[in-house]
Amino acid sequence: MDAWWQCEVPYPFVPQEVLNAADSVRASLPNRYCDPKIAADLFEEVIDEFLLCDDLGLNVLAIEHHAGINSLLGANPLLVGILARQTRHVRILSLGTLVSLRQDPVRVAEEYATADVISRGRLEIGFVKSGGTEMASANANPVNNIERYWEAIDLIKKALSHQDGPFSWEGKHFTHRHVNIWPRPWQQPHPRMWSATGDPETAAEVGRRGMVHVLVLRGPEGTRRAYAAHRKARAEAGLPRVTTDNFAYAAFVYVGDTDEEGRRVGSKLLWFLHTSLKSAPQYSKFLPGAAPVSLANAEKGVASAGHNAARLQAITAEEATAQGIFFAGNPDTVYKQVMEFYDKVGGFGHLSLVGRSGFMTHAESEKGIRLFSKEVLPRLREIKPVTVD
Amino acid sequence: MLPYPAVTNATGSAAAERLSVAGVDLEVVRRGAGRPILLLHGPQTVDPRARFLELLGTHAEIIAPSHPGFGRSPRPLDFETVYDLVHFYLEVLEALPHDKVTLLGLSFGGWLAAEIAVKCRHRLDALILVDAFGIKISDRETPDILDVFNTSPQEVRRRSWHDPGAWAPDFNALSDDELVVRARNWEALCLYGWHPYMYNPQLKRWLRHITVPTLVLWGAGDGVVTPSYGRAYSELIPGSRFELIERAGHHPEIEQAEAFVDAVVKFLNR
Repeated sequence: MDAWWQCEVPYPFVPQEVLNAADSVRASLPNRYCDPKIAADLFEEVIDEFLLCDDLGLNVLAIEHHAGINSLLGANPLLVGILARQTRHVRILSLGTLVSLRQDPVRVAEEYATADVISRGRLEIGFVKSGGTEMASANANPVNNIERYWEAIDLIKKALSHQDGPFSWEGKHFTHRHVNIWPRPWQQPHPRMWSATGDPETAAEVGRRGMVHVLVLRGPEGTRRAYAAHRKARAEAGLPRVTTDNFAYAAFVYVGDTDEEGRRVGSKLLWFLHTSLKSAPQYSKFLPGAAPVSLANAEKGVASAGHNAARLQAITAEEATAQGIFFAGNPDTVYKQVMEFYDKVGGFGHLSLVGRSGFMTHAESEKGIRLFSKEVLPRLREIKPVTVD
Repeated sequence: MLPYPAVTNATGSAAAERLSVAGVDLEVVRRGAGRPILLLHGPQTVDPRARFLELLGTHAEIIAPSHPGFGRSPRPLDFETVYDLVHFYLEVLEALPHDKVTLLGLSFGGWLAAEIAVKCRHRLDALILVDAFGIKISDRETPDILDVFNTSPQEVRRRSWHDPGAWAPDFNALSDDELVVRARNWEALCLYGWHPYMYNPQLKRWLRHITVPTLVLWGAGDGVVTPSYGRAYSELIPGSRFELIERAGHHPEIEQAEAFVDAVVKFLNR
């Protein structure tokens, strides 16, 4: 098993009374509450934490979210570019530029190809569907978001792998008549691609495409169902079986010297759920395309993202651990929690650590990274990919 | 897109009929007799129980289809834009048995009606735009049309009605079927109108091609698109009349059904 460390670079320093009064802490909270000097310090510390991961052999993962206290990483390619140059050893997963929000996928392909070359082939490219407040932030039509997602991925993939001069793309959502990117990527035909999704329909498409399938904070039931939909779709399409290397899971992870320290410091990560998910109804349950709840549940067989968010905002540390979204304690405990989850979902090959959130300090974050890398990661590396039915 | 619930007759008298044009199947509410009026609905499909239908039906034959994707009208998969709706309704006009109809468009449907009237002269005898979307009037940093998708539902409610307490729908009182219809309407409105938001940048240029007698009716208290926008709209259509309906917001046909129908009938009998 491989492991990837990420930090969303949240901005927790907005006064609580402001957050309480706001109907949403994303999309509409005025940016005057974001002090650029504090933001600069945060970036400085977090990039140092990424570089510590590089020293310790822990892969790094750069996310993207827009216009809220949950994350200052609105421009994923910038962080990916920095990591491509400043790290030297580990692999870098962009998860990812939110492609359904971008007007020109060819430009995204250029950014990725450039980062892959700068890193000399250490880039992995992940795609996330986006939704919610980001539809407003990016002026992106929520109704056909998923169509843009797949078409953008198709175009990026072709732009990265096509080496024979300009080709033309006149798709439903994107047109670009003269595509010929320089540089081409280091890895041939293109860097490995990932997709983050929980709903069975998208999961099936991820399976058919053979992408690495990552579930974020979905818990064992939703994760197991999504992995199963991925495998079932491959079987139905007559495609070869895949190994656990095709599956990834992202959870809050913190390792302390003791169980008490791991849980106490790790609990700071849950700020992300308690405070940074608050979203106004126009960005959630009234978002066009969101089905009425009863219908959505019947149709999709899993909770909608909005319903999932509402549940997570009130969660305790104990509940979070019981639900398989928070692995915290001493190294033995964390290893045991990860492997219990592994068994519940039918195995996965990549663990993404949602690290440093809320008011966790730089020192605390670095301690957790060191302990995980030295005490847990070597044991996870012993878990080899296995073929799963 | 959401599937639509089966056609039901919950109100006893309000079963919608179907209309098929060029292979596109539509739910349609029909009411009354007299000169034909093709009614193009706004963000919500026409409620067959609406009082203005009864009142107007004593003067005219009302044909009120639900646009493809709205209500219980399926959306052909390649229907994506207002362009598709406009060209589809041009086909509807050709398919209707009447030589000419009056085109009455509410809100989003007013946008469609204005586009259709620019392109079609021979099938229309009059045009009525009610609190219509469709054009850009103000400068680039002043939105003319309330962004109903990115504004809090309470604020949308407040700005949509003169008397929200009396007229705004109570979602908790709606049936599952009604909620699904509203969700379909919301989704279809977003698909068609998201960008540019509820207007065609080119339409303003061509409104002078409208040659049929035109009435532009506006709720005096409309906070979705204000009366000043309505006046500007009217000034771009040669010879059009602009009238306000007092004590009404974005939906004067609902909040002031009598005054609305009086204004329409007076205009048609002019």
